[in-house]
Amino acid sequence: MRLPRWKRDQARELDEEIQSHLGMAARDREARGAAPDAAKAESRREFGNVLLVQETTRDMWGWAWLERFAQDLRFGLRMLAKSPAFTIVAVLTLGLGIGANAAIFSVVYGVLLRPLAYRDAGRIALVFMNFSPQNSPRGNLSLADYFDWKARNRSFDAIGLYANGVQEITGNGTPEQVISAHVTANFFSLLGGVPQLGRTFVEGEDQGSSARLAVIGEALWRRHFGADPNILGKTVMLSGDATTIVGVMPASFHFPRQQTELWINYRLAPPKRRGPFFFTGIAHLKPGVTFEQAQSDTNSIGRNIEHDNPNTYARLTMPVLPLRDAMVGNVRPALWMMFGAVAFVLLIALVNIANLTLARSTVRRREMAVRVGLGATRLRLVRQLLTESVVTGILGAFAGLAFAWIAVRALQRWNPTNLLPRVGDIRLDWMVVIFTFALAILTSALFGLIPALRASASDPHLALKEGGRTGGLSTSGLRTHSALAVFEIALSLVLLAGAGLLVRSLIELQRVQTGVGAEPRHVLSMYVAATNAKYRDVAKGVAFYQNILDSVRALPGVEAAGMADLRPPNWWNEDDSFNIDGQPWSEGAFPSTPVGHIMPGYFETMQIPLLRGRYFTDGDRRDRHGVVIISESLAKRYFPNDDPLGHIMHQSQPEQHNPPMEIVGVVGDVKYQGLDSKNSPMAYYTPVAQSFVEAQFLYVRSTRAAASLAPEVEHAIHTIDRDAVVNHEQTLDITISDSASEPRFRTALLGSFALAALLLAAIGVYGVIAYSVAQRTQEFGIRMALGAQPSDVLRLVVGKGAALGAAGVAVGLAASLLLTRTLERFLFQVKTTDPLTLITVGAVLGLVAILAGYLPARRAVRVDPTIALRYE
Amino acid sequence: MGNRYQNRIELLQGTLDLLILQTLQWGPQHGYGISQAIRLGSGEVLQVETGSLYPALHRLERERWIESEWKLSDNSQRVKEYRLTPTGKKQLAAERSRWELLVQAIAGVLKPAGN
Repeated sequence: MRLPRWKRDQARELDEEIQSHLGMAARDREARGAAPDAAKAESRREFGNVLLVQETTRDMWGWAWLERFAQDLRFGLRMLAKSPAFTIVAVLTLGLGIGANAAIFSVVYGVLLRPLAYRDAGRIALVFMNFSPQNSPRGNLSLADYFDWKARNRSFDAIGLYANGVQEITGNGTPEQVISAHVTANFFSLLGGVPQLGRTFVEGEDQGSSARLAVIGEALWRRHFGADPNILGKTVMLSGDATTIVGVMPASFHFPRQQTELWINYRLAPPKRRGPFFFTGIAHLKPGVTFEQAQSDTNSIGRNIEHDNPNTYARLTMPVLPLRDAMVGNVRPALWMMFGAVAFVLLIALVNIANLTLARSTVRRREMAVRVGLGATRLRLVRQLLTESVVTGILGAFAGLAFAWIAVRALQRWNPTNLLPRVGDIRLDWMVVIFTFALAILTSALFGLIPALRASASDPHLALKEGGRTGGLSTSGLRTHSALAVFEIALSLVLLAGAGLLVRSLIELQRVQTGVGAEPRHVLSMYVAATNAKYRDVAKGVAFYQNILDSVRALPGVEAAGMADLRPPNWWNEDDSFNIDGQPWSEGAFPSTPVGHIMPGYFETMQIPLLRGRYFTDGDRRDRHGVVIISESLAKRYFPNDDPLGHIMHQSQPEQHNPPMEIVGVVGDVKYQGLDSKNSPMAYYTPVAQSFVEAQFLYVRSTRAAASLAPEVEHAIHTIDRDAVVNHEQTLDITISDSASEPRFRTALLGSFALAALLLAAIGVYGVIAYSVAQRTQEFGIRMALGAQPSDVLRLVVGKGAALGAAGVAVGLAASLLLTRTLERFLFQVKTTDPLTLITVGAVLGLVAILAGYLPARRAVRVDPTIALRYE
Repeated sequence: MGNRYQNRIELLQGTLDLLILQTLQWGPQHGYGISQAIRLGSGEVLQVETGSLYPALHRLERERWIESEWKLSDNSQRVKEYRLTPTGKKQLAAERSRWELLVQAIAGVLKPAGN
């Protein structure tokens, strides 16, 4: 044994001390007349066992436990090295379980728990407005509401606004579109954002008279401006407006969005009306004020605003959300669900290892008996076996970290549609490493306790009396085995049931009809913006769109082209209530509904069927009377016994006095609010020429491959306006499939956990049956010698597997009925108690259990009775 | 085991510390010297096993009741001498009074009834 240097010195001193003791004792004896040799021998005999004295003395140094631990550790490592198959299986099993946990923990920690990188982020709130008829819990404020809120505020010491947007940067090389935000002057100081260059906005720079200013992000500064150190004070064209750059923010600052890299000051003029609702409030709590107090304060402000504006609002509240909740609140349930699922996988892995260890400790019973015979206490044995488990746990933690590293990388790559917020904050750092090792050591010690207690409890007399036999498993040992196997079948059934439910609802989701008749693969869509200042003259904007359509339609292979500001299955730009002449308006009866602003050709391109009347034509111009096309379900609801054509409709509530629009057509329903939306697919459409919007999706139907078509379309657009921003090119099948990427992501994740669980459980059941078959080889030999047919033995063994399976399935189904309830929010048109899923999953697990029993059973019947009887 | 050990009795649990501290009260001493002193002082009745002595010495040292120093003996051999510390003196007093209490208590129990 190698001791540390200082301890070696201490040991040498002890040795010297004992030698001097022996020397003095011998001299005393010589002085009393003994012969030198005899004196030496006698004093040594009197002294006793020098090594033992040394050892017990060393115990006094206070390092005994550590030494014993090192001893156990070395022994444990040696035992593990002696049975590499066991070690590899155990470490890999544990690595899988621990790794899945470490990966999900790093996501949960990064997204939900890691402190936000903003000063005092725990006391920053986002403030929304929720009212009828919009009914959006995270609805935006209008400017008028902001001023009312600010005037009556008592809870916050800073109040600001922001709104996300996009801006075109032109005039400096290639035109580029960047994700931007308009912010009030106090936005940066509120968040504690410090520029790396220049300054942010200062108090008062958000007045109507303020200059147009911009702060740019570090990445944009490098990419677009070549990291120009003299950027400050330079003027750029942002969507056609000359704007002065005053500062550069470091790359670590990304708010409101991960991709925001341009911040522009608001130039707020007192509003003339309530609306549009574009703004999100951001505010910092006064010292001592809680979020609850702030919430009740804003709600009372909301009631005042509602009272003063009864025609605009009903049931107005102003939700106050802590910044973190606002950023990550929507993924929280899914993440915790995943965390629960991986905990199950780990449990199953641990049960497997406990079973393996238990089986192996039976073989090691004689070793234990000898140790007890030599005076080892039970505590000592348990400690030694536990050390072995912990060593396995530590090795498993290393394997798990490797696994988690791969998993986290994959997860980040797999996040193309930005399902996870704060994905940049996910990394394997110290928190994850600590979590991983703590989890590995704790759980492996806990689960090592079962086999350790069992093994150390064996009676040494019995174990030794069994002589040369390797020692069979007692019935109670087999019972522990079986109970563990049942437990893991039940656990994996719960996971499989959960995954099955998600798969079922994903299938349901993909069956949903979008309402688009055209083959989605053949429809290419792209986003075209007319945000540049030169299109603020509506006639020019419409002409811009019309020119694009004309030249795209002229491209070879193009069958149809159209434009709309909505895109199935989950994008719509505006929704608003409406009113119909001759029908009494009430807020509940005319809910907010997607409004499409479209160019002629949209329905034809998408092949959305015309049920009555006509589509829009180029003749539906600004100077003609207003027209509107309604969707089938809107027609059915408001004109159940009547022809809707010729009726007059207005956008919004009657109080808005919007211009009249004659219903000229009824078209088929299209999903715009998401495939899983429970809202009615009602919508109404107006021509862009009569209600201009600054951006459109261009739809091109063609059987040509998108790869060759897209550049030609883009070229055609740039021929019309070389500064035009075009992006998000995608065929509609991809758009539809992307819209289900979140449930698909969840399903794939939970599904892979469930498969891992199934695999582990199968291995576990196989292990138990195989082990009991090996133990009963002799018995089978006797049975067959006495005339039992192989089929009888087969039935016996498979029956055992089936019994384990049945018990596990029964327990698992009961647990599933309780636990799958937590999945309710993730399910689409599938009940949490869906019998089809539960029966299928139960059957699968039953089959797996039977198969896991069948393989060892076949080995049992192939046994030659004469060999079996001699079997050791 | 030789005959001459037969008159010796095992030390009571916990009394060894008291004996070591008491022995060191008269001045620094090495391990062998302490064992001899206890043997002689008890009229050869008490025999200190080395297997108990050295662990006890090292434990008392860790408690800071005694401290050790390497010295050269009369025949210029290196020996490790133990010395009582001030806290060790207090501990000795405490252990002595505890021992006296114990002796009185046991004597009281052993006293024939009625006396």
